[in-house]
Amino acid sequence: MKTIDLELEIWRQKDTITAGQFENYTLKSISTDMSFLEMLDVLNEKLTREGKEPVAFDHDCREGICGTCGAVVNGIAHGPEPGTTLCQLHMRHFASGDTLVIEPFRSRAFPVRKDLMVDRSALDRIIQAGGYVSVNTGGTPDGNSTPIPSATAELAMDAAACIGCGACVASCPNGAAMLFTGAKISQLCLLPQGQPERRERALAMVTTMDSEGFGNCTNERECEAVCPKGISISNIARMNREFVKASFLG
Amino acid sequence: MWFVNFLKSSIGKKSIMAGTGLCLFLFLCSHAAGNATLFSSVSLFQAYADQLHSHPLIVSVFSTGLFLVFAVHATTGTLLFFQNRKARPQGYRVKTRAIKTPWASMTMIYSGLFILLFALIHTAAVSFGDHGRIGETIATLFSSFFYSSFYIFSFLVLALHLSHGFWSMLQTMGANHPRYTLLIHRLTYIVPAFFLILFTSIPLLFFFGTGR
Repeated sequence: MKTIDLELEIWRQKDTITAGQFENYTLKSISTDMSFLEMLDVLNEKLTREGKEPVAFDHDCREGICGTCGAVVNGIAHGPEPGTTLCQLHMRHFASGDTLVIEPFRSRAFPVRKDLMVDRSALDRIIQAGGYVSVNTGGTPDGNSTPIPSATAELAMDAAACIGCGACVASCPNGAAMLFTGAKISQLCLLPQGQPERRERALAMVTTMDSEGFGNCTNERECEAVCPKGISISNIARMNREFVKASFLG
Repeated sequence: MWFVNFLKSSIGKKSIMAGTGLCLFLFLCSHAAGNATLFSSVSLFQAYADQLHSHPLIVSVFSTGLFLVFAVHATTGTLLFFQNRKARPQGYRVKTRAIKTPWASMTMIYSGLFILLFALIHTAAVSFGDHGRIGETIATLFSSFFYSSFYIFSFLVLALHLSHGFWSMLQTMGANHPRYTLLIHRLTYIVPAFFLILFTSIPLLFFFGTGR
């Protein structure tokens, strides 16, 4: 089994109001088969045995589908491997002797709760503002009664692949949440079920996004580059069109 | 009220940048067309200037409009720069970019402010000078090494600004479609290169004494 030794510099912060700082750790004989989060588990076991506070970090499914995990590794959200969440980043991508600087996702809208854990409920509030369809109860409609062109369905599915991890916000030089909001608006506005609330949705979600303290998009394309699900900035262009249409045509 | 809300929104501010950017791009096209007369002769350029200034109403309406568009573009850009800095109160220790060529987008505020400085110097030296002798003014100005170098450097900065700005304008306007992606990608290089070559040729023409 191949193993590597690592130097870690991890952001430690007691709570939201206490100032944080970086702390250095050395880990030896880390299996290259481990995921990044398993490597942090090993660190936490070591810290616990030493009677120290383990590093708090978000995680849930560890399969790259839930969007719970996330940290900035050496300046890149979810680490250096493209199209990957932090839990699916494996230690074989690092070399023995590497120094890894691990920081929480940083944005005014994502306050640090503890160490690498951030509060991403601002994204939930954008969804609450309009990221849904209102469906009346009743019998299930026949699937074939709402035909959707295959290409449109694919675009909607591509947008729906967003897992809401917040890496787009973390990587954007302006801390903007436009890729997330653009994907959520796109997945619904492309489909027939999303049409009745199309205009209200675009207005409400963009207004909430602005009020949550995210920055303004300046088309830097960093979000697209780090997105673990490969969400395209064409979704931002679609959101721009949706918002302009909703504003001018009501 | 809805219009004010639109302008105050993040997408509204992007739209202001894109809309004013488009106006400035169109102005650059017309300016480049006028300047191209210098490739023929100074006297033709002077005739073009005389013709233009024989319609004072058109000149005053367009120059006031241009000033307003420029002012709105610069003010909104600066406002966005400061608002965006506040969106991440604590930065990262390791500052790495995931995309390979972020230079143009990273430096938009600085290249933009430099273009503003250039525009002030250029208008003071040329636009507010003697219109009846504008051809001679250009020829004298560009025979100076300092002025020629300053203008050429400014055109390089303009090309850098356009290399992000032109694409960014189209993206903000929602022009993002697989059918046009390749064309837009090519225009991102062609548009700044076109203006760079055309504008830079003029000071070089006079500096090397080949301008007539």
